[in-house]
Amino acid sequence: MATVVGRRQASGGGRRFALLTVAPATLLLIGISIFPLLYALRLSFMQDSLLSVAPPRFIGLANYDHLFHDSLFWTSLGVTVVFALSVITIQLVAGLAIALALDRLPRYQQVIATILLIPSILSPSVVSFQWRQLFDYYSGPLNYFLGLLHLPLQGWTASPRGALPALVLVDFWEWTPFMVLLIFAGIKSLPRSVFEAARVDGSSGWQVIIFQVLPLLRRVIAIAVILRLISAFKVFDIIYTLTAGGPGTSTESLAFYTYVQGFRYFDLGYSTAMAFVTLIMITVLARLILGFMERPVGRAA
Amino acid sequence: MAAGAPALSRGRAAATPVAHAGVGRWLAYVGIGIGVIFFLFPVYWMLATAVKPPNEWLTNPPVFVPSRLYFTNFTDALFFYNGVKGLMDSAIVAVCSTAIGMVIGTLAAYSLARFKTGGTNLSFFILSILFMPPVAVAIPMFLFWSNLGLVDTYLALIVQYLIFTVPFVTWLMKGFFQDVPVELEESALVNGASRLRAFWEVVLPSVRPALVATALFALIFTWNEFTFAVLLSRGRVTTLPFILPTLMESHNILWGDIAAIATIGALPVVIIAFALQRYLVRGLSFGAIKST
Repeated sequence: MATVVGRRQASGGGRRFALLTVAPATLLLIGISIFPLLYALRLSFMQDSLLSVAPPRFIGLANYDHLFHDSLFWTSLGVTVVFALSVITIQLVAGLAIALALDRLPRYQQVIATILLIPSILSPSVVSFQWRQLFDYYSGPLNYFLGLLHLPLQGWTASPRGALPALVLVDFWEWTPFMVLLIFAGIKSLPRSVFEAARVDGSSGWQVIIFQVLPLLRRVIAIAVILRLISAFKVFDIIYTLTAGGPGTSTESLAFYTYVQGFRYFDLGYSTAMAFVTLIMITVLARLILGFMERPVGRAA
Repeated sequence: MAAGAPALSRGRAAATPVAHAGVGRWLAYVGIGIGVIFFLFPVYWMLATAVKPPNEWLTNPPVFVPSRLYFTNFTDALFFYNGVKGLMDSAIVAVCSTAIGMVIGTLAAYSLARFKTGGTNLSFFILSILFMPPVAVAIPMFLFWSNLGLVDTYLALIVQYLIFTVPFVTWLMKGFFQDVPVELEESALVNGASRLRAFWEVVLPSVRPALVATALFALIFTWNEFTFAVLLSRGRVTTLPFILPTLMESHNILWGDIAAIATIGALPVVIIAFALQRYLVRGLSFGAIKST
């Protein structure tokens, strides 16, 4: 009886409270994200360059049309896709392997998980500085190791062919730990009894992992992949600090090219048009993966 | 007892590993060993450089272990290269943005979790803001702040960072609130408490560990933030992530001094992470797995 009264009260007095508590966040986010986005959308239909004396004027879809014919845009899209796919693949494989290994340790799992997490909690600035040192042609330890192994020395971020793989390496280093942590937590939340039963049946450890663990981890893996995919797609920081898009345009990502157009050439209309296209691509990707995730799966959590 | 806590405080002891037999335990040891070396080596290198005397910064072969501890790098970094200012600016921006984000985000999370306010659309809208590339809003926001004459101020960066902290806090806390049994508040309401009081005195204390974990993440995130710091600063408000790349642009890179600044910037985050590792590991993973 008491609960019935309680529930009635909860729904009665709750509405106003519910709206009042959600209002600040909603209004604020509309103010600092939706409003600027709408402004940007308007800007993307304008010819508005800070470098020209002509006043901004409406040019319809011309910026988007230009985008379509801008080979640098396509190059940057290619760089972004290659970068995102590479980092996600190797991070997923390494993340799974390390998480499973971590789960096998008899002790100190949490301390080691925290130690491994260090790269992911450092500022991109700090990460870039560390790799600047490691990549140094003359005094860097990486080339020193290559020399010891009698392998050809690399230019790393300074070489047209090596720069993108070098950035993939940095991103791999920075974000694999995050992947490990998510998958590790997913493993921890699995019901142990399933595996014990499977082992009694005589399945080997590998069989258990492939046929029992991986399918149950699908949801966690999907979340990890979506989070990484989105941030890989908007990669900017390590490019800004390590290669500035170079050599040439070999590491110019979508976000970096958007920055170049907007903050170096001050072509606001064109830059915002590009930002919009990127945003649409990210939203579509996120929606696709979320859709895949929402399909009925054994709930991992 | 603490309703949001089970997932956070579940014992630290390793339960039965997923796979016992077949996969050699040595393989796990070797894998973790390689992992630890790989993920820590760059950090070690930074620390080593930070205490190397100048003649060991740029040598071939590189110096793996500094011949002596040279702490002048730190005093130079702090007092000559604006390290102190960087620390202060980073702290001001991170603490303010986290505090405001926690208040606004926690309230919204509670509303979304308990009353399903706005349905899935509002939830998804708030979450989707995290997906937005900063470059997409950087130009309008830059124009906005410069029209107000507020480019390069604490206020601009603090408000700008709410674009992450608010959705992030909302998203994480929503997952935790969903696990608080409704009965807990209902008994308080039946006893005549107002909504706000029930929330403040009953619900919030039961998710304290989650609050700590969430605030921690927001703090680390804002302390480290790079993109907006670079796009919206012009040299007056200089957070540590902003200072570092500017130092690397010079021709004669002062590796030891920069390493010292980088170490100073990394230290608070690493210390927080280790002091609160229980919250860190469980908090992040729990939130990420639970929500959406």
